[in-house]
Amino acid sequence: MKEHKVKNIFMEGPIPAQKIAEDIQKHATQTAIGAHSIFLGQVRADVKETGSVTAIAYTAYTEMALEKMHEIRESLFAKYPLTCMHVYHSLGAVLAGEICLYVFVSSPHRKAAIDACEELVEAIKFQLPIWGKEILNNQATAWKENK
Amino acid sequence: MAIEILFFGSLTDATTVGRLIVEDVTDTDQLKTYLMERYPALCSARYFVAVNQRMIQQTESLQPGDIVALMPPFSGG
Repeated sequence: MKEHKVKNIFMEGPIPAQKIAEDIQKHATQTAIGAHSIFLGQVRADVKETGSVTAIAYTAYTEMALEKMHEIRESLFAKYPLTCMHVYHSLGAVLAGEICLYVFVSSPHRKAAIDACEELVEAIKFQLPIWGKEILNNQATAWKENK
Repeated sequence: MAIEILFFGSLTDATTVGRLIVEDVTDTDQLKTYLMERYPALCSARYFVAVNQRMIQQTESLQPGDIVALMPPFSGG
């Protein structure tokens, strides 16, 4: 039995733009914060030889991803003076143009917020067991690869 | 001894299932050999192996109740 509290990061479908505005508003009471760094990943309509991408369907090994995310979170809090960190990743289908990843990092000062946000996004892309299957306009599919 | 096997991402194209229960395997090498015989398309696939959510680099012995995940390179975000 693990004792630490593991936060869920997964949301079914796209991340609504409204949520980002609401989250900024929620942090207005935390006046020690001087900087928020926000990263939004958007599904790109890549054009391939076999068709163009209309959506990406995400799946994950959720239990392992959440444990790994907990480790990443702890290590970034140990490394940078952060006030808070919020991560949301979509599961299921997200259409081209919609948001599939939303990272919100807050700190008293900008440098820590920006650096931690960048490091966090890289860790999410390369360390979390999440997979994207691209759905093409001719009904074909292709497994996404991170570069 | 029952071991639970999980397949993710592109590997499910090869296996057509996401989950499998396997009996009588004692280590991860033996398991891989068994899986490649059962699903030949796995032979050419690139993947990581995790035992109980911990990534392994070398073969490890397996205990009843272990969960082994086969995971292709990650592509989240």
